[in-house]
Amino acid sequence: MTLFEVKDLRAGYGKVDVLFGVSLTASKGELIGIVGPNGAGKSTLFGAIVGTVGMRGGSVFLDGEDISGKRPEDIVRLGLSLVPEGRQIFGGLSVIENLTLGLTGRRDKHGEKGALERVHDLFPVLTTHRDHQAGMLSGGQQQQLAIARALVADPRVLLLDEPSLGLSPTVVKDVFDRLIAIAESGTAVVIVEQRAHLVTRLAERTHVLRAGKMQATLTKEDAADEAKLAAAYFGNSGE
Amino acid sequence: MIQAILDAVSLGGVYALAALGLGLVFGVMRLVNFAHAELITVASYTLVMTHQFPLLVSIIFSVVVASLMALIMELVAYRRLRGSNPATMLIVSFGVSVLLQKVYELVFGALPRSASVATWMTGAFTVGGVSITTASVVTIVLAVVILLAMGYLVERTKLGLQLRAAASDFQTARLLGVRSNRLIASAFVISGALAAVVAFVNVVGNPQVDPRFGLDITILALVGIVVGGMNSLRGSALGGFIVGAVLSLLNVILGNGRVYAYSWMFVIVIVILLVRPGGILSKFATKERV
Ligand SMILES: Nc1ncnc2c1ncn2[C@@H]1O[C@H](COP(=O)(O)OP(=O)(O)OP(=O)(O)O)[C@@H](O)[C@H]1O
Ligand SMILES: [Mg+2]
Repeated sequence: MTLFEVKDLRAGYGKVDVLFGVSLTASKGELIGIVGPNGAGKSTLFGAIVGTVGMRGGSVFLDGEDISGKRPEDIVRLGLSLVPEGRQIFGGLSVIENLTLGLTGRRDKHGEKGALERVHDLFPVLTTHRDHQAGMLSGGQQQQLAIARALVADPRVLLLDEPSLGLSPTVVKDVFDRLIAIAESGTAVVIVEQRAHLVTRLAERTHVLRAGKMQATLTKEDAADEAKLAAAYFGNSGE
Repeated sequence: MIQAILDAVSLGGVYALAALGLGLVFGVMRLVNFAHAELITVASYTLVMTHQFPLLVSIIFSVVVASLMALIMELVAYRRLRGSNPATMLIVSFGVSVLLQKVYELVFGALPRSASVATWMTGAFTVGGVSITTASVVTIVLAVVILLAMGYLVERTKLGLQLRAAASDFQTARLLGVRSNRLIASAFVISGALAAVVAFVNVVGNPQVDPRFGLDITILALVGIVVGGMNSLRGSALGGFIVGAVLSLLNVILGNGRVYAYSWMFVIVIVILLVRPGGILSKFATKERV
């Protein structure tokens, strides 16, 4: 059953339109990829979904409920969390303070302890650095913190905007292994990546977003086919 | 000599409270709320108008009135300005300030209203042959207690954590579930309560409340938050303290030349800002803003 659905979404800034009718779906436990070049509108798409960028048309459904136009602080409580581009952790606050802030978005306050324990199992390094200033963590640790901070809200849908940004290949693999585990636990995971190959092999479906439109959708099998991938990514015009 | 130091510390404490109120609102909204002055003024009027009540009741009244007024300001004037550029917001806050002064003038008249509030504080006592004013000691105790309470609130409570997070990156805080309306309203209410404390100390020292009663201290507290570093609450409070204490000491040191106290204080302020353009605590502040 479809847990999360974006239908014909339009968005932009001021006089500029950026997204021209974007659709996508994700079911429980699915991992979905979105790839595309710089400026394609990937971050704008996520911003519109979570309510930080105004929508100009279309709708977003979470478990059948229309959440379009709601405020960010309400959307997270409905079970949709975003790990924003560039991580955006609070560098001046400690690791545990960052995680505590993540608890703000929970629907049920009873599960707080359990949520923190789950984070401990998934990202033990955050527990060892519990009281350190978050800004002093390495890039990989900061990315783990950003993911953990979103996870403690127990999202049903988790959006990640370029989680590989600025990380070395081994750290990237580490982070993606956790994301697979998170999806396997039942969360729908949607990952935006500029480096397409990172997600195409893992994702159930990978959408190619270019110039504000979904240009193509690839399955895992398609993605294994280099030629097909390149054609989808760069368009058939032979750019 | 000892009295001069006590006076400096107590005036510094009061200015620290005023600066903290301004800093809290600035933190969550990037708004320099010039109309903080009118919160102090309305709290002062409330103290004067309720002077026949027991002191504690009168103080509670003034805290409630100032907090309510702050809440209304936020709702009516500042809510739709969220995210506007700071200059626009500053201008609007000037407008709110002037408008409220006019309202006070219509309600209470342009001439000062006075009443003796907490007269027991106006006396003095001697310790080891040194005469000390009660007001300075009470003020210091009050300022220390409230600064400690604020420190606890900001550093140890959930609300404080949200205030700090929002001050550094409001959008991300909202993404995590921090309710923006509620948080900003809380910041205003607390700043109103702080204004009432400042009002109390001021009314005891000078029970002549007119529509511009809160202006001077607010302007100096604004200087304070710039001196201390407006991006951190600690900086705001420290800057307010320095401005108040320096001004008080200058008044003693300059003796008959005390008409120049303001000039000298601004010389000191300019020197500090030349050395540390972002304010004394700016180094910590930039870290928080990453
Ligand atoms: N706050 C903003 N105001 C105005 N225009 C914006 C804003 N943010 C993004 N844009 C514009 O919207 C378009 C899409 O930007 P967006 O950040 O969504 O791209 P992206 O696919 O995430 O790119 P990247 O891979 O570089 O992160 C770009 O042309 C960009 O200039
Ligand atoms: Mg982006």
